[in-house]
Amino acid sequence: MRLLICIKQVPDSTTRVKVATDGRSIVTDGVTWSISPYDEYAIELALEHKDTAPDAVVSVVGPLGIADALRAVVEELKPDLVLCGRQASDDDEGFVGPALAEALGWPHVSQVTRLEPDSGQLWKEVEGGHEVWKVSGGAVLTVQKSAKDPRYPSLPGIMKAKKKEIPERSVAGVEDPVKLEIVKLEPPPARGGGKIFKDGDTKAHAAELATLLRDEAKVL
Amino acid sequence: MKVWVIAEQKEGELRRVSRELAAKGATLGDLTVLRVTGEHVSAVAAATALAERATAESPDLILAGATPGGRDVAARLAAKLKRAYLSECTDLTVDGSSIEASRGMYAGKVRARVRAALPAVCSVRPNAFPLPDESSEPALADVAAGDAQGLAFVRFEPTASSGGRVPLSEARVIVSGGRGLKGPEGWPQVEALADVLGAALGASRAVTDAGWRPNEEQVGQTGKTVAPDLYIALGISGAIQHLAGMTSSKVIVAVNKDPDADIFKVADYGIVGDVFEFLPAFTDAVKRVKAAS
Repeated sequence: MRLLICIKQVPDSTTRVKVATDGRSIVTDGVTWSISPYDEYAIELALEHKDTAPDAVVSVVGPLGIADALRAVVEELKPDLVLCGRQASDDDEGFVGPALAEALGWPHVSQVTRLEPDSGQLWKEVEGGHEVWKVSGGAVLTVQKSAKDPRYPSLPGIMKAKKKEIPERSVAGVEDPVKLEIVKLEPPPARGGGKIFKDGDTKAHAAELATLLRDEAKVL
Repeated sequence: MKVWVIAEQKEGELRRVSRELAAKGATLGDLTVLRVTGEHVSAVAAATALAERATAESPDLILAGATPGGRDVAARLAAKLKRAYLSECTDLTVDGSSIEASRGMYAGKVRARVRAALPAVCSVRPNAFPLPDESSEPALADVAAGDAQGLAFVRFEPTASSGGRVPLSEARVIVSGGRGLKGPEGWPQVEALADVLGAALGASRAVTDAGWRPNEEQVGQTGKTVAPDLYIALGISGAIQHLAGMTSSKVIVAVNKDPDADIFKVADYGIVGDVFEFLPAFTDAVKRVKAAS
């Protein structure tokens, strides 16, 4: 089975993201770039089946970002399934996966945590459990975090990856009728200055806290 | 302006987020609340049925709850209609022919104000808009969805521990546990508190990665972003990825042994102490306080 994975390059999850002085972009100096975390789970899900099925082809497409440009790649490489993370961890939109499926005229299944290529069955995380769906024919899967952590690359793997050519394709001319305009970016409002009980009897503080939550914070 | 709300039901009742959106939608224009009907409808099948109707009726704005199901249908529908998609909005304003929305980016580390031309599709976070006390059940227009080609439902596998609780994304109160609870055996006490508060259960990544709790309870980056009225963090140190996912909560309570834990930097109320001493005392106190009011 041929699996194609779409990934995006985003600021690493440990990055303290700062808004730039223009108020509409982020400061990229000092940012460590990583593969978006959900995309890593997508890669892991695919690699798992590369272990068991020697004829699987795992190709990684660089951050092209636009569903229509990706469609051309899919049509050229003809994978059976396309996997991507359920959302990129920069814009957090979760749009490209379903949009790519739509461009291809394929169904999509989101929040996938497990895949059984032989039976075409896949597990979709829903509230309170998992739905099992069966795909026949092409489909786009957007991958959710699963119990199996993405593996660390091996040293020879890293060396090989460094030499690997990542083909770049121009996305010029790809019309995007639905681009969002960023009006303003800002850090979340600062918090702090809370009442912290540092010393004394935890049980007594617990009782006092319940009263404060009712009378002062009014959330009980 | 024509406004659509794609409603979701849970156990035969309209979800709270759908009612919040119906109340908001009614203030924006001419409202239709739609319900997709059918057995085990996939997102693509739901979007196909909705798109057909949207093509006929041309709604200016389509709203769905930013629940796992709502987001899924909204994204596919926007792609189908080739409309702007604003996901996980926490606020929105319509101004003539455009819409502006607030939404989190970088897993909550940045707040963005974005604008798009109408018509547009938005998924909106639960608790973004108030639910008026006197709001009546909105009338529902049914949209029948068929099967999706190449996709068949097989079965549902429930998560053992999730029975009967509010979904995390919609909860007004969340009790969340971290490594400080030492193991899955710490959870009955957490659940006892959650029961008294009518709260949903959350967890830090350390906890779900260790398999103490199911993945779907994880709060933070690679988990859920939440904004309840009250978030109680028990034995959670406050890694940046966790803080990003809960820092929009109205009131944050933190209990941790380590006075330098980062969670105290975002807490409105904090107790430096042993979580196992805190839990039974606090659960009792909440019972008393609730009974007295």
